[in-house]
Amino acid sequence: MVSVTELRVVGSAEPDDVRGTEAAVYPDWESVYEDNVVGIYQLVFRKVGNAADAEDLAAEVLMQTLKTLRLPAPVHNVRAYLVKTARTVLADHWRRYYAAKEAAAELQQVPPDALTSPRNSDAAERAQRLLALLPDHSRRILELRFLRGYSVREAADELGVTESNARVLQFRALRKAADLELEVLR
Amino acid sequence: MTDSPADRVARFVDDLLHRRRPRRFDATQEEVEAMTAAAGMVSARVGADLPDKAALDRIHRRLAATLDESPALDRHVTRRMLLRTFGTAAAAMVIGVGLDEVVTRQGKPPAEAGGGGSTVLMPDAGAWRPVASVTQLPAGHAMTVSTGAIDAVIVNDGGAISAVSGICTHLGCKLQPDDAGRKLDCPCHQTAFGWSGKVLYYRLKAEPASLPQIPSRVNGDQIELFVV
Repeated sequence: MVSVTELRVVGSAEPDDVRGTEAAVYPDWESVYEDNVVGIYQLVFRKVGNAADAEDLAAEVLMQTLKTLRLPAPVHNVRAYLVKTARTVLADHWRRYYAAKEAAAELQQVPPDALTSPRNSDAAERAQRLLALLPDHSRRILELRFLRGYSVREAADELGVTESNARVLQFRALRKAADLELEVLR
Repeated sequence: MTDSPADRVARFVDDLLHRRRPRRFDATQEEVEAMTAAAGMVSARVGADLPDKAALDRIHRRLAATLDESPALDRHVTRRMLLRTFGTAAAAMVIGVGLDEVVTRQGKPPAEAGGGGSTVLMPDAGAWRPVASVTQLPAGHAMTVSTGAIDAVIVNDGGAISAVSGICTHLGCKLQPDDAGRKLDCPCHQTAFGWSGKVLYYRLKAEPASLPQIPSRVNGDQIELFVV
């Protein structure tokens, strides 16, 4: 148990305790797991969008890594390996459950250093930037659905279109967002 | 039943928005692209892509089971070490249950913009959402609330109502209010924030960022947050 005296109180931080991760080494699984489990979960969640799949996939990434990774190893290398494994596991997921042949190409967007900045703000900023680049009607349907939680029917009413048209509008807007992500934001 | 790509993707999006595991189907490449974009959009909600304690517990149990099935792995990682590792990590990830978590999902159109107080989480488009009644939050108390889009902590400091993000800026663990200490504790790495969102202390290599403030107001007997 850590006593309060060991906690660093703001204003009296000791700078010599701050180390860059580039030169650091993971000595054991304890450090790999604690440092990365949340980041891996976030990484895969952002590609599948739901907690149940994200949990399965995060566990799979860790299990595959556990079986093959030799420690100690540099932090940078371990994280790059985890990301590479995550790409493979995600590609398998889309192939197995949605018959996707080319999901791997989409996943190449995941940068090798994806685990170094796992904060949610990245995903939020990315979505806002994408929305800003979309044409008005595409942006509107995605804002209503994803940011305000409208149902298709509520969004259709708001936009003055039929439910069927709202679904088509949503599909096209998501396609445009996917294209933009590949072309502009990478 | 015949349905179009737009119908199938709409069903997928509905599942994501209702936090269900999506139904499986054979998708075209175009549909997969749209579905991946939808996953990215869902992840943009603050806190949406963070695991809860139960999920972390299950992940660690699966890893422990993998070791049981593969004794050869003991050459480079002992089961005892893994259990100790995951025991520590799981214990550190204990996430408190919010007081009367309030989930509102009003389909009302955006109200007047404003509220001020923060440039960090002030979205371009949003709405005032009620999250609790004033009577639920007496002076000197803080409570966690969720709008479905955001996890926040609302604070009544001597009658002044304010709100900050309820997610630690380090690794995204959910904060737990400590009214007696007038602070918000992160259960993961012994970090605490003041009611204003400023870091009080931490046990990390570097000081984490302050908590973003969330515009708040009292409207009638309701405390409202400005969220997307």
